[in-house]
Amino acid sequence: MSETQSTLQLILDSGEKIFSDHCDKKLLDQAEAGVFAENLWQQIVANGFNQLGTSGSGTTAEEMYAFIMQCGRFAVPLPIAETLLVNCWLEPGEGLYSVGVVNNGQIIDVPWGRKADKVVGVQLDSDVVFVVEQPAVVEQRVNLAGEPRDTIALPDDAPTVDVGLDPFAQLALTRSNLMAGALQTLLDLGITFAMERTQFGRPISKFQAIQHALAIVASEVAAARRAADAGVDGLQSERFIPEVAASKARIGEAVTVAAEQIHQIHGAMGFTHEHRLHHFSRRAWAWRDEFGNEFHWQQVLGNHLAAVGADNLWSFIATRG
Amino acid sequence: MLQFDRVSLDVDTETLRADVRGFLAENQAHFPKPNSDFVTGHDAEFSRKLGERGWIGMNWPKQYGGGERTFFERYVVTEEILAAGAPVSAHWIADRQSGPLLLRFGTEAQRQTYLPQIVRGEAFFSIGMSEPDTGSDLASVRTTAIKEGDEYRINGTKIWTTDAHRNHYIICLVRTEAASENRHAGLSQIIVDLKNDGAQVRPIANMAGGEDFNEVVFEDVMVPADRIVGEPGNGWAQVTSELAYERSGPERFLSAFRVFVELVRACGQHPAPHEAAAIGRIAAHIMTMRRMSISVAGMLENSKDVVVEAALVKELGNNFEKVLPEIARLAAPIGASRGAFRETFEETLLLSPSFTLRGGTREILRGVIARGLGLR
Repeated sequence: MSETQSTLQLILDSGEKIFSDHCDKKLLDQAEAGVFAENLWQQIVANGFNQLGTSGSGTTAEEMYAFIMQCGRFAVPLPIAETLLVNCWLEPGEGLYSVGVVNNGQIIDVPWGRKADKVVGVQLDSDVVFVVEQPAVVEQRVNLAGEPRDTIALPDDAPTVDVGLDPFAQLALTRSNLMAGALQTLLDLGITFAMERTQFGRPISKFQAIQHALAIVASEVAAARRAADAGVDGLQSERFIPEVAASKARIGEAVTVAAEQIHQIHGAMGFTHEHRLHHFSRRAWAWRDEFGNEFHWQQVLGNHLAAVGADNLWSFIATRG
Repeated sequence: MLQFDRVSLDVDTETLRADVRGFLAENQAHFPKPNSDFVTGHDAEFSRKLGERGWIGMNWPKQYGGGERTFFERYVVTEEILAAGAPVSAHWIADRQSGPLLLRFGTEAQRQTYLPQIVRGEAFFSIGMSEPDTGSDLASVRTTAIKEGDEYRINGTKIWTTDAHRNHYIICLVRTEAASENRHAGLSQIIVDLKNDGAQVRPIANMAGGEDFNEVVFEDVMVPADRIVGEPGNGWAQVTSELAYERSGPERFLSAFRVFVELVRACGQHPAPHEAAAIGRIAAHIMTMRRMSISVAGMLENSKDVVVEAALVKELGNNFEKVLPEIARLAAPIGASRGAFRETFEETLLLSPSFTLRGGTREILRGVIARGLGLR
């Protein structure tokens, strides 16, 4: 266990170092203007962080998702989660890979599809994915946070691969972890701001209304973190789909509550483009909707439990892990 | 930062869980109207049966009749009993709160006197904290216990004392010295025998139609001096630890659980999309809070300080216990207006205002969390 802990800590420590040095407000603004963060990407590749969780890397899925959570904490403007999953699903490579959802003969909402060497198209309720080499961009689009979400052509002869475990749910789990990371930063920003901002002669953190707002956010952030970890643990069990469903649905709700409270605490300053708060709040908002929103996953979980039935409901909930 | 570690229950707990389920199935006659609220359902016989099984005082030392089992084992028994909606109110406070308090702070004689009775399910305790003019501001209590020779003379009134008319003992927070500049000084906890010491218990009807809580009046009630819990004057430290350490259990998010069960039953095997979403939403919250509560059990097992984490679980749990009936109400199909769903829903809704009051109000808990965040 201690060895696993130290590998994880090593990954997180070097990740934190790289992101603290390179992933600042200026980089995020540039990324939203469409500039690919080439230097940061090279740092990630050089450290092997694009290989986490692959069979040859000697690292686990748990470590991969912990790294994805950290990417959320820093709002890393790269398709790192998508590249990691593609490297887990297909023969791992050194390129930049991305993933989207197959829709009407196209692959839509592909993060940085315009830069991708390879794009994978996933489908709802299927373990089979389409693989598109040298993808053709049909349209460049962005999500609410200004993150590229492009439309890619899906050729008729695109080869398919069975990845074995619901790929759409795996992508949802990346969003759970990204959101849990961003939520941590929202809380940190809120606490810092409240302690620095003075009104009525004292820091606003001394006002009960602010303290209660931050207590609510802290509760949501803690719940989100625990839900994200539970989703990752679900990878090892036959409960994967309902566990992912619970995590994505729960964390999406946490984002709604936390982003609202943290913006309120920041006042007009947090509403400016100059402040970095919006890089996190807009991402968290956008990620709620990617790969199934709360309602989608609530239904998945609800239908599962309806089949389990009222008298076995508790048995389902009372799992050991 | 606040951290709720991934904790898996030990595989051995599965045997225990199966035992508890078997026991509950045999004893369902004791709870014809299942309710997961821990205050609802006072059944001395059922509590004695739990005692026979060794499921009260589970992690207390064997010398006092305890089972020396882990916090995880206690957790499993607790959540199973609550989820089934069994009547647990009789022994609940003694098991969760009074016993641990006596173990931590009580005199050796007190431990030997009370703990074995509690473990057998034969001694039930109430909490004497609130007073007519003392709610969240607990240090403002005015009930006095004045030493006279080998006795204390108690005067004052405690209120909202759940089951004082049914239970055997009450542990009261009292002033043993006059209030001074340090308002936390001069407070003590004292055990009063509700059957024999002459305290007057007056029932207070609640809005749900129950008569579970009371006013307990002390007029020159004399009790032996050895009823002071631990050291005289240490009451504040004792009472805050008593509250802080007992806030993270499954009773803090399962009070409305039976409404969820009846919602799933009412929606049937093929729920409409909005019904399925309501079921999934409730489940996502409960699954998450349960894991957080188990994390805290793990911290207790490792003797860690859980003040803030426990407050956080209670904050999330109690708020959600109130949201759950609301989600269920809006999702319930037409036919649910008759039968078990409606009955359970209405009973729980009427109890729900108490969920964010008892054991420390939501406002107090948010203050505890804020202190943990470094804001106070």
